[in-house]
Amino acid sequence: MQGLLSATHDARKDTQMLRLISALGLLLMAIAGANAAEPARKATLYKSPQCSCCEEYAKYLRGNGFEVKVVATHDLALIRRDNGVPTAVEGCHTMLLGDRVIEGHVPVSAINLLLEKHPQVRGISLPGMPQGSPGMTGRKTAPFTIYSFGDGSHKVFATD
Amino acid sequence: MGGVAVLAGGLSSIAQSAGPTKEVRLVAGPGRARVVPSPHPETAIWAYNGTAPGPEIRVRQGERLRVAVENRLQEETTIHWHGVRVPNAMDGVPHLTQKPIAPGESFTYEFTVPDAGTYWYHPHQRSLEQVERGLCGALVVEEPEPLQVDRDVTWVLDDWRLLKDASISGDFGNRMDAGMSGRIGNTVTVNGRVRETFGVRAGERIRLRLVNAANARIFGLEFEGHRVQIVALDGQPVEPHAPEGGRIVLGPAMRADLVIDMTGAPGARFRVMDTFYQDLEYRLLDLAYADAPLRERPLEAPLALPGNPLPEPDVGAAARHEVTFDGGMMSGMMGGMMQGMGRGHVWAVNGVSASGHVMDPMFALPQGQSCILALHNNTAWHHPIHLHGHSCRVISRNGEPTRHREWQDTVLMAPRERAEIAFVADNPGDWMLHCHILEHQAAGMMGVIRVEPPGTRT
Repeated sequence: MQGLLSATHDARKDTQMLRLISALGLLLMAIAGANAAEPARKATLYKSPQCSCCEEYAKYLRGNGFEVKVVATHDLALIRRDNGVPTAVEGCHTMLLGDRVIEGHVPVSAINLLLEKHPQVRGISLPGMPQGSPGMTGRKTAPFTIYSFGDGSHKVFATD
Repeated sequence: MGGVAVLAGGLSSIAQSAGPTKEVRLVAGPGRARVVPSPHPETAIWAYNGTAPGPEIRVRQGERLRVAVENRLQEETTIHWHGVRVPNAMDGVPHLTQKPIAPGESFTYEFTVPDAGTYWYHPHQRSLEQVERGLCGALVVEEPEPLQVDRDVTWVLDDWRLLKDASISGDFGNRMDAGMSGRIGNTVTVNGRVRETFGVRAGERIRLRLVNAANARIFGLEFEGHRVQIVALDGQPVEPHAPEGGRIVLGPAMRADLVIDMTGAPGARFRVMDTFYQDLEYRLLDLAYADAPLRERPLEAPLALPGNPLPEPDVGAAARHEVTFDGGMMSGMMGGMMQGMGRGHVWAVNGVSASGHVMDPMFALPQGQSCILALHNNTAWHHPIHLHGHSCRVISRNGEPTRHREWQDTVLMAPRERAEIAFVADNPGDWMLHCHILEHQAAGMMGVIRVEPPGTRT
């Protein structure tokens, strides 16, 4: 008739939540810290463990000179929240490139534009998973609209 | 079972009820819980009788259960008795089977429980938020002759998306959650708390009832160092067998009854791992053996459970209906969605993306008809497909007959998988058929089938 387990909890031990949250925090701090010293083309891409197109996107970036570490996570929503990605422009994965945020299947041309011409912009996004975008299958049927974001708002950044 | 008012068992006045009636009172309302241990603060939750999960309801097979539900939430609610073959009016689907229970109002559910086994209860109204905030509980229907075990234990498995202050993240209905794997949390609990250990004794035999109450997380549990036998799935007995690959896979809303003999040494510890998601494996808790054994050798009692009174479908004479599931990210549908539709409807059943529980039935079945549903998951994602009001034999997967022809009410389908389920449509009414990843359900992944009593067919 046990509805509840015996609560033999040792609060000093790190619990799963603590592990998860602190791992995330440390990771983010490590990335932020590393940014100052390392080239900006070193990125960490966070993705759902069950999404395959993100791996293809990482390959595309690697083919364009980026060093991309892919990390599976259930915490994409929280990572987006912590990195200022507005809900309206969410893509299928989130990549941290130094202190910049690249959301979704953004073409390299737009990333280069961001890095070279827009030091004040926090991040850019290609929302959703448009067919024919880098890493996606299918054929591109219309120009992609890429948005910039920061401070909770977003606006058109470029079309590609 | 604290908190359940058991008012005793006089005979019910309802004619068909032969056995005693068990009375339970459930109050749905805000509460606080220590989901994660100190130094984290408590978490504001929604709870039945103040706890998440709510009280475990225990009733004997064939008994009548009467549950008075009081709604102290700020919004409407209902209770669905997941897996129990209840009359349609007791099924708890808002607007389809009942008027939702308004804030401050009450509703009494009353039905006879036909099948022994492990079931659960939860709201069917805005369930993606109500269940996630803590409204759920186990419903255990005891066999007349219980399985011979030393302990009968329930683990309600759940996960929570907590912020750093241990509050529940308010991003319900997140579009990417909806279009991908649903809202998977960052904190996994067993019976409402993060656990380090579960105490056992050498020589002990435990019946472990697993209930996956999570919105979206699929569990794949491995009990290191132990030989686990599955004796029931979704409440219904199954030929006792070891899980495939040593891993018990439970999609949202699914249950499994396990028998585990504690064959480890006194003082030993063994990990229980959840290995479902690649690269995100974690330790759920440790089985921690006490220093003193219970007995030298485990029990040798038989493991098979007696069958439930389920009507056997006549597969040869069954009516066949196709049910296809489409949509979601990586389907081609989502890109278009993102460009303009924007209503959050990203999944469809037989081409229809539902916007509420009330809809025209996909098809009607005469009561008593054997039926095969051929389910096609045309998506890139897992879906636990739940049929209300019936249990179904899973007779094939991807064209191959299943080994155990297991009865299920929630059939977990892998990406692109096909499955055939067979049942007798013996329970009249309009019944939901939906994905139990609650974000998928809310984003359109539900449909209705109708079982028509004789004489109503037009």
